[in-house]
Amino acid sequence: MKILIVDDFSTMRRIIKNLLRDLGFTNTSEADDGTTALPMLQSGSFDFLVTDWNMPGMTGIDLLRAVRADERLKHLPVLMVTAEAKRDQIIEAAQAGVNGYVVKPFTAQVLKEKIDKIFERVNG
Amino acid sequence: MSFDADEEILQDFLVEAGEILEHLSEQLVELESRPDDMDLLNAIFRGFHTVKGGAGFLQLNALVECCHIAENVFDILRKGERRVTSDLMDVVLQALDTVNEMFSQVRERCEPTPAHPDLLAALSRLAQPGGDEDVGETATVEPAEVPVEDVAEVVSDDEFEQLLQAADAPSSPAPANEVAAASSDEITDDEFEALLDQLHGKGQFAVDSSAPVAAPVAAATPVAPAPAAAVAGGDEITDDEFEALLDQLHGKGKFVVDEAPAAPSVAPAAPLAASSPAVPAGDNITDDEFEALLDQLHGKGKFVPPAEAAEPANAQASVSAAKPATTSTKPEPAKPAASKPAIAPVPAAAAPAAARAAAPAAADKPASEAETTVRVDTARLDEIMNMVGELVLVRNRLVRLGLNSEDEAMAKAVSNLDVVTADLQTSVMKTRMQPIKKVFGRFPRLVRDLARNLKKEINLELVGEETDLDKNLVEALADPLVHLVRNAVDHGVETPEEREAAGKPRTGRVVLSAEQEGDHILLMITDDGKGMDADVLRAKAVEKGLLDKDAADRLSDLECYNLIFAPGFSTKTEISDVSGRGVGMDVVKTKISQLNGTVNVFSQKGQGSRIVIKVPLTLAIMPTLMVMLENQAFAFPLVNVNEIFHLDLSRTNVVDGQEVVIVRDKALPLFYLKRWLVPHAFQEDQREGHVVILTVGSQRIGFVVDQLVGQEEVVIKPLGKMLQGTPGMSGATITGDGRIALILDVPSMLKRYARRI
Repeated sequence: MKILIVDDFSTMRRIIKNLLRDLGFTNTSEADDGTTALPMLQSGSFDFLVTDWNMPGMTGIDLLRAVRADERLKHLPVLMVTAEAKRDQIIEAAQAGVNGYVVKPFTAQVLKEKIDKIFERVNG
Repeated sequence: MSFDADEEILQDFLVEAGEILEHLSEQLVELESRPDDMDLLNAIFRGFHTVKGGAGFLQLNALVECCHIAENVFDILRKGERRVTSDLMDVVLQALDTVNEMFSQVRERCEPTPAHPDLLAALSRLAQPGGDEDVGETATVEPAEVPVEDVAEVVSDDEFEQLLQAADAPSSPAPANEVAAASSDEITDDEFEALLDQLHGKGQFAVDSSAPVAAPVAAATPVAPAPAAAVAGGDEITDDEFEALLDQLHGKGKFVVDEAPAAPSVAPAAPLAASSPAVPAGDNITDDEFEALLDQLHGKGKFVPPAEAAEPANAQASVSAAKPATTSTKPEPAKPAASKPAIAPVPAAAAPAAARAAAPAAADKPASEAETTVRVDTARLDEIMNMVGELVLVRNRLVRLGLNSEDEAMAKAVSNLDVVTADLQTSVMKTRMQPIKKVFGRFPRLVRDLARNLKKEINLELVGEETDLDKNLVEALADPLVHLVRNAVDHGVETPEEREAAGKPRTGRVVLSAEQEGDHILLMITDDGKGMDADVLRAKAVEKGLLDKDAADRLSDLECYNLIFAPGFSTKTEISDVSGRGVGMDVVKTKISQLNGTVNVFSQKGQGSRIVIKVPLTLAIMPTLMVMLENQAFAFPLVNVNEIFHLDLSRTNVVDGQEVVIVRDKALPLFYLKRWLVPHAFQEDQREGHVVILTVGSQRIGFVVDQLVGQEEVVIKPLGKMLQGTPGMSGATITGDGRIALILDVPSMLKRYARRI
């Protein structure tokens, strides 16, 4: 599965990448915000998007909206990484079409559960 | 703290978060002059946010805690619920200091000490909406919080789950109560099938493609925000809730415009919610409010005239009392978004918040490039630099040999090598270049704090921050510059009262500038303060016993100013905690000399002072003047060399027991280098010799040498362990003809050998 990790903080990308690697997902790419991520998504055949919320340039939620608005990407499963499980935020993300969210910090196990849940849904 | 967390990641974090913290310090000071700058507030918020996020993974809890509250403060600020004041800035800057402190503890692999509770308390106070203009808002929020907490205690996740299921009920043919009791899986799965279908329809404007399913599902949706808002401990959402929310929302992706069928189907849902265990929550929602909510949610997909939208907005605000003030403002900006659903098939209400956050951010960084950088350990760069140095030396030798060779092909190859090596050298040097901004960045904060301490008003201007220079130099220059800037603020710029009395603007000005000048970097610290008084300096020098009266009187004004670099010289009678211990300036001088740099002071009484520092671009390669003593080569740093000439040694004079040479009516002390550096050399009476005039500090000195070889760029090699610290020698190099030349360190050589100069 080809996964795109979007975060403006490269340490965080690396952390997520390592966690995904621990889960056996080795085919990952990185982007540092929505503006860079979108063209990558449009040109590469990604199967899954993991994005941070709070980023300069284009935020995660805007990226999500752009993805959902794109005819070819609108079915792409999206996992949002957030700092808090703020209800407003999650509702906002859900309304925008997010498939799952995970609160920082998280472990590989938590990430796995989230991903499983998402694909259960997507494939279900 | 667990350091079993990947050490590499910790390293990354330290570097990257360190950069963010450096930026934060600049941005915070900037914020004081532009307190309403949204981009800046957002950037600072994001800075703390990012550091917090990274620290969370590394389990640096103390760091997380402090950043978290600081982040909240800026969240409040950017929402306009509080204004930036200098007191607030003091606390925030203190918080940043604390964070930096923790950071350095982490760097040393210690557990960071948690922030002082007082600081955290002060921060937390600031993280509450404040200020007079917000009284109304806080008033509505406070009473709301109380019942909400009650509810949060009463309603467990499970209950909430049931509540949500109850809300979903209309989508299922089964009676609502049974559904609530049944396991949620069946419902959601079935529902999800339908939802997926709808979701697909979402991108299009197929308003009634799957109407029968869509209507009930959509009807259930408005219920969700209602209990959600009511139960909401206000902030945290659980997984189960999220799942349920997703279930509902996906149904909502449909643009169910038809209000008439929707409304009735919701009606049963509302009582259901009320009859579920979460009764207290249900109590909060009246049918009217519910209707309003419905209107609002449906309105999102439709073209709701602004006037109509305003009302549900208020309703929503009162229902979702737990949500802080933002909620009430949210639906309002939604209007413009709602009016153009064609490009935004996603629910509009969510858009404005993000749009607000994104727009300024996007403005400051239109398109970030894909990552093209790699972090490299500086030790590795040093190693490469060293190897390039070796290569340069070999090249020099080959070039020299090539000159004597008749072989044309050989000469060609050598000249080719020459060019390539030079390019390689420049490229490698460039990899080590860093903008001086790294050092300059700390000054706004420094000056701000000092000025506040000393009750002065000072504007700091930074010029040429982008000037690149060698990384080692950037680091080495930090301390001297801090000292000089402190001096400019403390001793240079006067108090506002004094300035006004002198007919100057109240606010003093300190300019810190950097520019490249050939192979040198020129750094200047200029202030428009009171300047220096040459006579006072003269008197001081005599009083301190540094000079006798005659010598002091003979000094030009310029030389007087440079007296401040003499060891043990301080004109300030009282010692302030800012500067003025009289040890600083000569340390500055020594430090800059070590970098093969020079420092000079210019001043005009009443107008201000300017300190000019000149340092080479890099420390690894140095232009030198090669000289010979007997058969041994020595290299003078070219930066010190003033002039060279041939002298008839019989035309020297002796003044005060010191041999001097008169150059353009100035008597310069003259030394025979050979007597110092070549022991047992045959002490013949030289009749004539080559003299190299060097500038050392504010003084000029002549050295007699046997032979002048010429100018040569050398790669500095440190002396071996046994020889390290030999006075007068800063290193060694291999010359083009393959011999070893010692590089002279003139100040330390004078200290060691000259009796007195």
